[in-house]
This record gives sequence, C-alpha cells and structure tokens, in this order.
Amino acid sequence: MFSVHLSEIPRTISFRTGLMFLALFGFSFLALFGYIYWQTAVYLTAEADTGLHRQIDNRSRQSPVLMEQEIRKHKLQDVEARLPHTLYDENGNYIAGAIHTLPPYKAFDKPTEFRWSNPRGRNRPIRFMVHRLDDQRILLVAQDMHDIHEFNELLVNALVSGGCLLLIVGLVGAVLLGHSARRRLDTLSSSIKGIIEGDLSGRLPTRGNHDDIDRIAHVVNGMLDELERLMREVKGVCDDIAHDLRTPLTRLIAGLERAQRRGLREDEYAQSIDSAITEARGLMLTFRALLRISEIEGSARRSNFSTVDLNLIAADAAEFFEPLAEERGIALSFTRSPSPALRSGDAQLLFDAACNLLDNAVKFSPDNGRIQVSVIAGAEGPGLRVSDNGPGIAPTEREAVFRRLYRSESSRHTAGNGLGLSMVSAVARLHDMRLTVQNAEPGCRIDLMSVRPG
Amino acid sequence: MLTRPSRSLHVGTLRFCCGVHIGSPPYKNTKERPAPMTHVLVIEDDVTTASEIEAALQDHGFAVTCVHNGREGLLQAFSDGFDLIVLDRMLPGTLDGLGVLTALRAAGIATPVLILSALSALDERVRGLRAGGDDYLTKPFEFIELTARLDALIRRRSVPVGGERESRLKVGKLEIDLLNRTVRRGERAIDLLPREYALLEHLMRNADQVVTRTMLFEAVWSYSYDERTNVIEVHIGRLRRKIDSEGEEQMIHTIRGAGYVLRSPK
Repeated sequence: MFSVHLSEIPRTISFRTGLMFLALFGFSFLALFGYIYWQTAVYLTAEADTGLHRQIDNRSRQSPVLMEQEIRKHKLQDVEARLPHTLYDENGNYIAGAIHTLPPYKAFDKPTEFRWSNPRGRNRPIRFMVHRLDDQRILLVAQDMHDIHEFNELLVNALVSGGCLLLIVGLVGAVLLGHSARRRLDTLSSSIKGIIEGDLSGRLPTRGNHDDIDRIAHVVNGMLDELERLMREVKGVCDDIAHDLRTPLTRLIAGLERAQRRGLREDEYAQSIDSAITEARGLMLTFRALLRISEIEGSARRSNFSTVDLNLIAADAAEFFEPLAEERGIALSFTRSPSPALRSGDAQLLFDAACNLLDNAVKFSPDNGRIQVSVIAGAEGPGLRVSDNGPGIAPTEREAVFRRLYRSESSRHTAGNGLGLSMVSAVARLHDMRLTVQNAEPGCRIDLMSVRPG
Repeated sequence: MLTRPSRSLHVGTLRFCCGVHIGSPPYKNTKERPAPMTHVLVIEDDVTTASEIEAALQDHGFAVTCVHNGREGLLQAFSDGFDLIVLDRMLPGTLDGLGVLTALRAAGIATPVLILSALSALDERVRGLRAGGDDYLTKPFEFIELTARLDALIRRRSVPVGGERESRLKVGKLEIDLLNRTVRRGERAIDLLPREYALLEHLMRNADQVVTRTMLFEAVWSYSYDERTNVIEVHIGRLRRKIDSEGEEQMIHTIRGAGYVLRSPK
C-alpha cells in the first residue's frame, strides 16, 4: 500500500483541509505577531520619548552655569555616548556636550531621529529632542536607540523564522495526513473492489478508533452483512424453489402424460384432471404465499398500521384453531395478558402470524398433546408465545426454519410448503418484533416479542 | 380448555378490518332487463386473462363483454346496461381501474363492481372499496372464487331496499330467529356457539349458492383469508354435525376445491 503517488496527495481531502488550516493558522500567526511587534515598538519609543522629556525637565531646573558644568561632566562620564546631551548657543553654535553640530530638527520639544557617528566611531541611531532654554540657548537631549532597534530586529527575525518553521511543519503535516488518508482510502477501495468482484464475505477494514472513516466503514459493513444475508437468502430461495417446486411439477406432468398415453374412460380422465388441478392449486398456493412474504418484506404495509390489541388478535386466532386442536384431542389453552396488550401494527398480518404459529403447533403436536398460547408483557411491549409438547426444533435448525421453503428433516413428510415461519419472520421484522425458538422440554416454544426498534 | 372471548370482543375485532361484506348498502335496481341472463362487463387489459375470465363466466351462465382499456370500459359502462362489472385495478393509459370506478360512481352508475388486483395489501383493498368497489379479489384467483363472489353481488343487489329487516331465515326445515339468535331444525332446537351461529347465518343468507371459504372467512371472522389451512373445514364439520342429526339429510354440502353450499334437502 505504499504505492501512493505524491501527485495524488494534493487531491486528498485531508491534505486540503491541512492546507486550509495551515493558511488560517498562518494568517492568525502573522496578525498576532504583527500586533505584538507594533505594540512593542510603539511602547519602547514612547518610553524613550518620556525619558527625553524628563531629562529636559531636569536640565531646565538647573542654573545655566551648573547645567553647562553638568553637561561637560556628563560627556566625560558617558563614554558609551548613550545619552549624548549637548548645549548650543541661541544660534545653534556648540557650547558643550557630545554632539558638536546641531542636527536638523523639525521643531522644538519634538522627538526626531538621526544617525550619528559617536566618538567611539560607531554610527548609531539617535533619538533627540531640542529645547530652547529660558536664556535662549538651545539644549539637546538624546538617546542612543541602537538597543531598541536591535530588539525590534530580533523580534522580526523570530517572527520570520517561526513563520517558516510553521509553514514547513504544516506542509509536511498536510502531506503526511494526505498520504495516510490516501493509503486508508486505497485500502478501503481495494476492499470494495474485491467485494464488487464477487467476494461478498469481504468487509472494509476498521481501526477500532471510531473516527469518521471507521464509522462509515461500520455502516457499510452493516449494509454488506444485510446484502450478504439477502443474497444468500435469494440464492437459497432459488435453490429451494427449484428443488421444492420441481417435485409437484413432475407429478403434475407425469399425471397428465399418463392420461394422454393411456386410452382412458371418461371418468378416469375426469380423475386425472382433478388430480392435475389439485397439484396446480398447491403450486399456486405456494407461489401466492411466496408473493405475500415478498410483499410483507417490501414493508410498504406499515401504512396500514394502527393500534391493535394483541389480546384480541391472539384470542381470535386461538378460537379459530380450537376445533382443529379438539379434533386431534389437543388441549389448546389461551392466556391473555392481564393488562391490555396494545401496540401499533397490522391486525391482519399479526393474526396471520399467530395462525401460522398455531398451525405449526397443531401440526407437530402429538395427538392428545397440549398447546399454550399466551400474550405476555415484555419490556418493549406485548408479545405472543406459542408452546407445544411436540418434537421441538433441533438447535441446529432454529435459524434455518425461518428460511423460505425450508423444511426440517422431521417435517418433510407432513403437509405444508415450508413458508409458515418465514411469513411469521417477515411479519416480525415489519413490526420490530423478534422471533425466537426455544426448547420447551419437551416441545417447542416460539416467542414473538417486541424489541426496541432500530 | 380454551378461554373463549366474549361476543363483544369480536364485535371489537370486526372493526379492525374492512370485511368485504360489511356495511356496503345494496344497490337499487336501476334497470329491469328483459332477458334473465346476467350481463357482465369485463375490463381487463391482459388479453389472455380476459378471455379466460370470459370463458369462465360464460360457463357459469353469464353473458360477457370484454374490453381492454379504461376508456373503452367507461364508454361501454355508460352506454349499455350491465348487471356487473369486473374491473382490473391496473389498466394501461391514463385511466386506471380506480379512475374508471370513480368516474362511474360520479356519473351515478351504481352497477356492482368487483375489483381485480395484483396488489393484495390491505390498504389497496380499502382504497378500492372506498372508491366505490363492491368487492375485491386478489390475483391470482380461482374462477370459482370469482363466480361465487359475482353471484353474491347479484344476490345482494336483489335484496329489496328499505324493506323490513327480516327477523327469521328459513331454508327447508332449518330456521333461525335473528332476534333471539336461536336455531331450530323442524322441532329440534340446535344450540350453537357464537361463531357457528355466524357461519350458519351467512350460509343461510346465501342459500343454494356457493360460498367459498375465503368469503366465509371474511364474513365471519372479518380477517382476510390466507388459505393455507383447512381450518374452516373443521368449523363447518362441527356445524354440520350439529345441524344434521342422525337420519336427517345433509344440508351443508362441500363443493370440492371451492367452498360450501347450503341447500334444503329435496
């Protein structure tokens, strides 16, 4: 999976998102540092200006003679010429101090900057202020700005190098992100290609960290599970239809051919036709039941839902089957739930489902057996339970009995088309109910219980 | 044994489903036909199905006119007096089955209509009946089912409107008192369970006519019938044992592959 071309990375969403965030962050970075730089520069200059004003004040308070002496002394002390104070006469001619020529200035008491070669031979930026004293002489106070400028420069350098680092790290990050996303998507798409090519058991790889792609992969895997189940079911149904309907069709054709072959009397013909009609009717019923299950599974019938009482429906079904049970000496008992078993559903379908369960129970109960129908209150709503004391369903067959046309070995020789429980299962799915088969020791207990939807 | 739900419970369940025979008013006799032969209009787009229906209805003794689309069907229904209309729910073109039906009823034509449909969903059925249909049959169906239902529609139509509701039904010596819900055959009183009584009442109202299992089930249990079981057979068997005591002639006859008919013994 390392065959990711660099040219493909810029097309990945992760890379583009990375770039976008880089740009956003870079912009914020520039704005923040620009602001800090600007604020610092303004603050430092203002500090210098305040210093200059203070020095003018201090000097102005000294007597002219003292001031001149002080300035001469200061020049000697301030060897670095950090505060080169100077005194000029009223025409700007040098009297005492560090700076021999009065630099050009815009106005009195306004800070101005100029470059000055100091006595140590260094060319320095100087910020100065010119003040006319009471005796008309001119006082210049000044400050060497070199350190401040150097600090600002350092700040700018830090900004630029920080920005460059950010850009590089961000770009590398975006490329890495893009690369890893690309690799993951390549893994996903190669899995999908495998599935498209027919390997329906394939699933999308997940990392287990529940990120976006993992979640989508989970959803797709769920869809694939369902698809696989449906495909298997369709295939199973096709096989079963082919297998199960071939037998009656063969019988039908054989019967008709026999009638054609032999010179029959009229009543014998009539008999042949009768048995052919019976076979064909059986086939028609099977097809109709198949169609019905498909229709229920198409689940368009939810439009027909209303509030129904399972107690009533189960009572109707039990009452409907009671004569059939009685004929075989089976004790059929019905227990309603003490509270009204109301839920939303399709009364017709629930009745059919109950009838199918009862039909099975009667079919598989021994003569003089017993069948119990009960409506029970479950956590998520009412449910229906039908138990009998027949042979039961082997644990290995408990899933298979819900398949269309499936008939367990023990039931192959009883009447029926193997669609009853599939129909119940389809009704259960439409109603958000779960159909489970349990062992009733002896016999079989089938529960049709409401579950939490979804 | 079985906890039998009370009668009122079943009245409750009756309301769940639109039983076909419940609550539709009988139609007035709009036209007196000189010939006693029942004339049926079949509106069905599939030519093979239409000719099969035609043959089955002719065999049953009906005169049949077949048309293959909604427009033609509507024109025929307007121009000629039919006793019955068999209408396919799905018709090609702009005018489908429900459209034809709505137009017919809007024009005041009250001929009973039986809707044929490949759609078995209950709401489809309800829609068909609301649009003015009198009965609904899902494809694929058996012709005996179709003819029995058409017979029932004709019979329903001939019930006089506004006449006093009869208080008793009598077929041969078998008699039920609809007010007291009691049953007698000759001198012998017969004790029936509520469901058996309902079965018998329906059979007696349709005496001498084939009533299919499906029709019985819809009328008596008010669910529509999913015919996989022969349970109805057992119910009828029980009823039969109560009606016909030893030495008496059988009154409820089984029509093989179709249903039952109640006849007075000759």
